[in-house]
Amino acid sequence: MIVVASWLEQSMTRGILTSRYPKEAASDDEVPPTGRPPLPVGGPAPGPRARDSCPVGAISDTEVDQGKCIRCARCVAAGLTFTGPVEAATRSRSDLMRLSDGPAPSPGSPPPLASLGRSLHVFLVDVGSCNACNLEVLALANPYYDAQRLGIFFTNSPRHADVLLVVGVPTPEMVEPLRRAYEALPGPKAVVAVGACPISGGAFAGVRDLAPSLEGIVPVDVFLPGCPPPPVAILDALLKLNGRDRAARGGR
Amino acid sequence: MRRPSWRVESAPAVGGVGGSRALAYVPDDGGFALYNDYAEGVSVLSTAASRPEDEPAVFWRADRDRVRPHTLAPATEIDGYGIFTFPYGPISMGVPESGRFDVRTYGERVLGLVPVGGFKSRRIRDAVVGRPVVDAALLVERMAGNFSAAHVSAFLAAAESAEAKEVPTAEYWVRGLAQELQRIYNHLHLIARVAEAASQNVGLAQTHALAEEVLRVQAEFFGHRWLFGALIPGGPARRLAPADRHGLSERLGHLAEEFERLWLLFLESRTFIDRIQSTCPVARSEAIRWGAVGPTLRASGVAWDDRLRIPVPPYDDLFVPLPQESGGDALARVTVRAEEIRASFLILEQILDRWAAAGTENEPAGTPVAPGRGIGRVEAPSGDLVYDVRVTAGKVDALQLRSPSRANWPVFAAGMRDAVFTDFHFALESFGFAFAETDG
Repeated sequence: MIVVASWLEQSMTRGILTSRYPKEAASDDEVPPTGRPPLPVGGPAPGPRARDSCPVGAISDTEVDQGKCIRCARCVAAGLTFTGPVEAATRSRSDLMRLSDGPAPSPGSPPPLASLGRSLHVFLVDVGSCNACNLEVLALANPYYDAQRLGIFFTNSPRHADVLLVVGVPTPEMVEPLRRAYEALPGPKAVVAVGACPISGGAFAGVRDLAPSLEGIVPVDVFLPGCPPPPVAILDALLKLNGRDRAARGGR
Repeated sequence: MRRPSWRVESAPAVGGVGGSRALAYVPDDGGFALYNDYAEGVSVLSTAASRPEDEPAVFWRADRDRVRPHTLAPATEIDGYGIFTFPYGPISMGVPESGRFDVRTYGERVLGLVPVGGFKSRRIRDAVVGRPVVDAALLVERMAGNFSAAHVSAFLAAAESAEAKEVPTAEYWVRGLAQELQRIYNHLHLIARVAEAASQNVGLAQTHALAEEVLRVQAEFFGHRWLFGALIPGGPARRLAPADRHGLSERLGHLAEEFERLWLLFLESRTFIDRIQSTCPVARSEAIRWGAVGPTLRASGVAWDDRLRIPVPPYDDLFVPLPQESGGDALARVTVRAEEIRASFLILEQILDRWAAAGTENEPAGTPVAPGRGIGRVEAPSGDLVYDVRVTAGKVDALQLRSPSRANWPVFAAGMRDAVFTDFHFALESFGFAFAETDG
């Protein structure tokens, strides 16, 4: 009895830690300095100095490909800052280049999947990650983010899931298991590519044997840039699937 | 500051395994092997060319790891009526990483277990070849995102020693801070995972929250939640001015207090203790025989910590407590981890104090093993991490590593023999494995 009381006391002392996101904008605590997409300061074009500073070729003379960025911050010295929207997930790959225009999707971007309903059951598939994305996804269960309050639940089998969260750069060994996990999902189903690795290979872009991106293996519904994306960005990516994200609620 | 030195022997001491010696490392070409001699308290660097293949600790020779997927522990030759192999993985929710476990069973009892890795191999060892050291470090820190500080520190130590480079002392202080912060995060995460397996849900939530707070401290003071880019020379993400360090010290004080309160509650929780006590026991002799490292080794009664035995700066100048248990079970491993969280807070405090008082002289890095070849060893959260790096003209020529996860897989397999299925998660989580660093 004493023990129960002390756990209770511990919980009461700590109080409610849970984020107000997405009702309120994400706080600075929730978004690390490198949690936002880097954008050129004072203009849309990064320029050649920024281009040369990037170790993964995410920066060209005219635009920044957020799908390739690994948030190493080397371009900061060449005039870029991490000031893009936290809600950086997009429904199409090409929109990742247009993040400087704001979080609004491009006209050709697919609409939310109304068929998924309001609650999402999510299954995590790791196809060759460094673990950081896995742990950021697991962090959604901690009291700070508490994904359950938004109707997001983790399942123990792909057969019970609506959404596949894919982390990591696809290794040849994981291509077949991933395909089978995708086939095991009952329809309607969706795939979220979490982090730079499944979108473009990220830090591993161009490494021999590895798949260049997830797109050739399973269809991707949401592209979430970051290395790794912070937990609030993962929440946003999931909510974008069924149109319950912050932008759709009218919060900017 | 004192430099790490390994006693170099020309011929391997065969037959030592199983006594008080453990083989630590065999690189691809069989050029060197590291043995830890626990009785004498020294690390022995010797040639491994004549090492017999059938010695248990050598079966993981790196060349076999090139075949994917590959087994990480010896196969179990148990047969009988109704016994079959149950493959668990590579995709499963219980283990939030991709890797497989081949379980020999007749339905309830685990007669033998073989972890199978290689599913997550991102070919980092090949990919870094030809890249400048600072660019290779971007891949090395992604060897395992949650152990990035240890990996980068070991890699840089090896590369700097290979090139006989001078390193500013402040660089070592930053590496120490990053490694200890990340150790605290990983140990908290491990306790949370074990609490989850034991259905201690309040404990899980509270520990998980504390781990999140450590990530936020890392983000605030190193610019990145997982310390990516923070330890690379000239890395722009880091900002640790004297005022920042003062702020860091205050934040650490709060975290340490929170942890003390929380750990006392765990110790009073019978449901938690009962379920991990005598789970997956590893006897001292087994731990040495299979080459266990880190908290796993210390929980089995061997007092060995790289930070004390072969310290690289800044650890050569600090007081490093050495928590030790003799039970060898999951409870012992969790207890050692909890004690190490306290120890890490103490070490962080020392680093911040010393740094404030220290000057900014340059230090020569350790002596290279051969021209252009260096070895870096650090105590990662899960144990002894070894990097063997060859560098020519600032570019990486070859990279080999022996990760603590790689060393501990056969220990886990040995401990799981004759366990039941329900023990699987307590057992697995109590070791702190990462398939990511195993596969590389």
